[in-house]
Amino acid sequence: MLEVKELTKHFPVKGKRGRVVHAVDGINFKLRKGETLGLVGESGCGKSTLARTIIRIYEPTSGQVFLKGQDISGLSVRELKPIRKLMQMIFQDPYSSLNARMTIRDIIAEPLRAHKICHTKAEENELVFEMLDMVGLGTEHALRYAHEFSGGQRQRIGIARALILRPELVICDEPISALDVSIQAQIVNLLKKFQEDLNLTYLFIAHDLSMVRYVSDKVGVMYLGHLVELCEAEEIYNNPLHPYTKGLLGSVPIPSPRLARQKKKSEIEGDIPSPISPPSGCRFHTRCKYATERCKAEAPKWQEVTTNHFVACHLHD
Amino acid sequence: MIEDYKITAADWEPLDFDTEDAEKIVAKNRTFLGDVVFRFSRKTSALIGIALIVLLCIFAFVGPYFSPYSFDTQSLEFANLPPRMKAAEVNGNYYYLSPNLKVIALSDDGVVKSTLTKQSEDGINKRMVFVDEDQEITVDYQTIPAVILSAENESQIARTKNIWNSKYLLGTDGLGRDMLTRLMFGTRISMIVAFIATFVNMTIGMIYGGISAYAGGMTDIIMMRIVDIISTIPLTLYVILIMVLMEDGFLSIIVALSSVYWVSMARVVRGQITVLKNSEFVLAARTIGSNSTTILFRHLLPNAMGPILVTATMLVPSAIFMEAFLGFIGLGISPPMASLGTMANDALQGLRTAPYQLFLPAAVICLIMFAFNFVGDGLRDALDPKMKK
Ligand SMILES: Nc1ncnc2c1ncn2[C@@H]1O[C@H](COP(=O)(O)OP(=O)(O)OP(=O)(O)O)[C@@H](O)[C@H]1O
Ligand SMILES: [Mg+2]
Repeated sequence: MLEVKELTKHFPVKGKRGRVVHAVDGINFKLRKGETLGLVGESGCGKSTLARTIIRIYEPTSGQVFLKGQDISGLSVRELKPIRKLMQMIFQDPYSSLNARMTIRDIIAEPLRAHKICHTKAEENELVFEMLDMVGLGTEHALRYAHEFSGGQRQRIGIARALILRPELVICDEPISALDVSIQAQIVNLLKKFQEDLNLTYLFIAHDLSMVRYVSDKVGVMYLGHLVELCEAEEIYNNPLHPYTKGLLGSVPIPSPRLARQKKKSEIEGDIPSPISPPSGCRFHTRCKYATERCKAEAPKWQEVTTNHFVACHLHD
Repeated sequence: MIEDYKITAADWEPLDFDTEDAEKIVAKNRTFLGDVVFRFSRKTSALIGIALIVLLCIFAFVGPYFSPYSFDTQSLEFANLPPRMKAAEVNGNYYYLSPNLKVIALSDDGVVKSTLTKQSEDGINKRMVFVDEDQEITVDYQTIPAVILSAENESQIARTKNIWNSKYLLGTDGLGRDMLTRLMFGTRISMIVAFIATFVNMTIGMIYGGISAYAGGMTDIIMMRIVDIISTIPLTLYVILIMVLMEDGFLSIIVALSSVYWVSMARVVRGQITVLKNSEFVLAARTIGSNSTTILFRHLLPNAMGPILVTATMLVPSAIFMEAFLGFIGLGISPPMASLGTMANDALQGLRTAPYQLFLPAAVICLIMFAFNFVGDGLRDALDPKMKK
């Protein structure tokens, strides 16, 4: 369904010629239809940039993105338009992702209009109302403005907008991190329901591992623009290989004080280095407990250690 | 007491709904526009501004239909009459002695009747004699200001009394044209010029700033450097140069004003759009596949409209001021048409004897500026979401 090869996105740094932010650097992964890939990593590690480069909000610096076997990374805006129907995105902030000057009906109908799918207003309304119903909002809300809704309701509207074209791949950029815990579960369940009903493929971005475990088939861990580990969801919890993944698992809050006390202290120390001048060799060596001279000098290769378990670390060569 | 209390079955009945309703938080759901109107209407100065603008518009656009004069109706014999005249009483009749020694007969309720003819002048005693029907009026101009002498006693000054000019309510100008009527026409011209100029500036600024911000990158840099260069030239000088090149008149003043003030509008629009274009709802529109026109006109401009409107409201008074300034230095609307600026200019010649001719247009200019600034301030506060209460 989706294949990403050596995808790289660098942003120029304002005022400093030739220097760039290494937001995303040489990412590889494959995603089969109907699967969910959970992507985790600290804030600023390039998750959103990766998502936006895949969906071509940003132009990739290099690398390729294949959607259903077609290379979409070099397509022009016009050539991209039919592709847009296949992939959609759900945004992080339910407040800024809806235009405050448009009614809910217009927001949800915008994709239909952009692709000229409906010929009459009635047809359009029918689709919109059906979609509203599917995300659990009443049709009586259709003529209201977004600011009259709660965060959870707004996120439902965002989901309705993304799904009305019946895309096959949906990129969810932290769709729940701005919501209340009680509502997070509702939204995640809604997304899971749609996945079953519509056979969707998800790229699900989150910054904590606990929610990702619940929704994902595969989990990828990012650090400073690199993908450091990628494997089946259960595998990553039972058998994490990369020291960074272990650290992340250690920072998952455990809902029982007794278990929490037993837990090994393995939180990652130190601050995330600047993506403008990332550390040489393995980018994690500045904070890694197991770092050796080799880690400083040589970048680890992205390799499959066991079946479907990829990692980039010298400890597992 | 407590032990005595028996719990009855009635105590377990549900309460009325009233008590529960009282807990509900009462908050009306308002649309964005409703919200703006609500906040705007709570600001007294803004309301005063709106009221002033409405009154001025009525004055300028409806007023002329109620005036017996036109902007160019002139009667030279009644030139430079002030709104309030110091009338001397001679045998029950009233006469106004103008600073240039003309005697004008008045009725006792302030209607000017005619200018008297001079019969004789005594250069040695500095006296002049005018005739009105059957009586003589003697003017003594030994002293300054000159006086009309009383009829019974040649050495006595006639009793005077201040009368409102009821034929020309605000007096007349140097050519004997009604000030009130000219003020209406002048306000009208100034407002029309300002509105058209603002509208044109707004359109140019929105298109220019919108394109600059939306295109981004090198295009943006070049377009904004052009704006920077234009704005380093003093606008006043620039407008004057344009006016000198073109013929006097309505059109050229609009062209001159319109080609200059879009710069600030372009900057505002660009700032707004640059911020908005990276907001998630615009990114969403792009991933949806909406085209640039939709994004610009459905997403970007409507959301940038608040600051654009505020800037436009603030543009009106500066356009009015600029127009008045041009008129004042003699580069405005061509005579006999009046604008507030040309009226102020005309008033300069007789400033010492007829200061009201300058004060009146100046006062109207002030009122317009106050009104629009108040409204602009109110709009800015009303549109600022951080002020939301
Ligand atoms: N448009 C941009 N221009 C320049 N730099 C950018 C841009 N977008 C992101 N960056 C930089 O790229 C890096 C990765 O940012 P990104 O938003 O992808 O992180 P993230 O993993 O999504 O973080 P979060 O969890 O906070 O959303 C950051 O250092 C950021 O400063
Ligand atoms: Mg992000």
